[in-house]
Amino acid sequence: MDFTTSLYLAAAGMRAQSGRMRIIAENLANADSTSAAADGQPYRRRISTITTEFDRELGATSVKLGDPVADQSDFRLQYDPGNPVADKAGYVKLPNVNALVEMMDMRDAQRSYEANLQVMDGARAMLVRTVDLLRR
Amino acid sequence: MDMGQIPLFSLLTQRMQWLSSRQALLSQNVANADTPNYVARDLKPVDFGKIIANEASATSLSLTDARHIPVNARGSAPYDQEDAFGEGGTPTGNIVSLEQEMIKLSDTQIQYQAATNLYSKAVNMFRTALGGRSG
Repeated sequence: MDFTTSLYLAAAGMRAQSGRMRIIAENLANADSTSAAADGQPYRRRISTITTEFDRELGATSVKLGDPVADQSDFRLQYDPGNPVADKAGYVKLPNVNALVEMMDMRDAQRSYEANLQVMDGARAMLVRTVDLLRR
Repeated sequence: MDMGQIPLFSLLTQRMQWLSSRQALLSQNVANADTPNYVARDLKPVDFGKIIANEASATSLSLTDARHIPVNARGSAPYDQEDAFGEGGTPTGNIVSLEQEMIKLSDTQIQYQAATNLYSKAVNMFRTALGGRSG
């Protein structure tokens, strides 16, 4: 049944987008997480990956969230000699999270999530209309 | 009476099948709107006028047993697909325009509504002809 396929695909899309949202939230929450020790590494930004997956049961190309990848860009450095985790020169390593970039990603995830929701509404409306043919 | 034998009903059923297949394909596009290297797909348009012409002159195998499966019975028939290159395209190689997909989706829904309305109207005509109370 193609409508149930639609519903499953939209659900897979929503699941992927909400997983992406979770990783964005993780990044934003840790935007200022320094390391616990003086010479350790702070939180490293994670990038969500989305991949296709052929669903044999549905016979369609579904979507799933891949393993998150660590962002290898440089950490931010802040001069703060009084900080207990500052290095010998007085610099503190801060995570490579850019709040603006995360916000843009979040908007994108929201937009895609809404699109999947619309598809779900549409498929359900068509399904209901078909079932309604039986009523009269 | 087998409603599928009446050309109008079989045509509407095929139309509805085609539209629901298209809905599934479009939802696949939307679900993969952020997948790298994914290219949007669409169903090739089917000429339903040609189907009417074929129905009129169709020679089908006769069924001599109730358990026979009619030759022209299509389940969820695989219709031809094609790449739908629209505007858009991101550095990740993804070619899905959410806006275009939304337009196609609403178009599919309107067409589907038209088909189901025609179906119920035709059923009501039968009901009127049979002398029942049309609802």
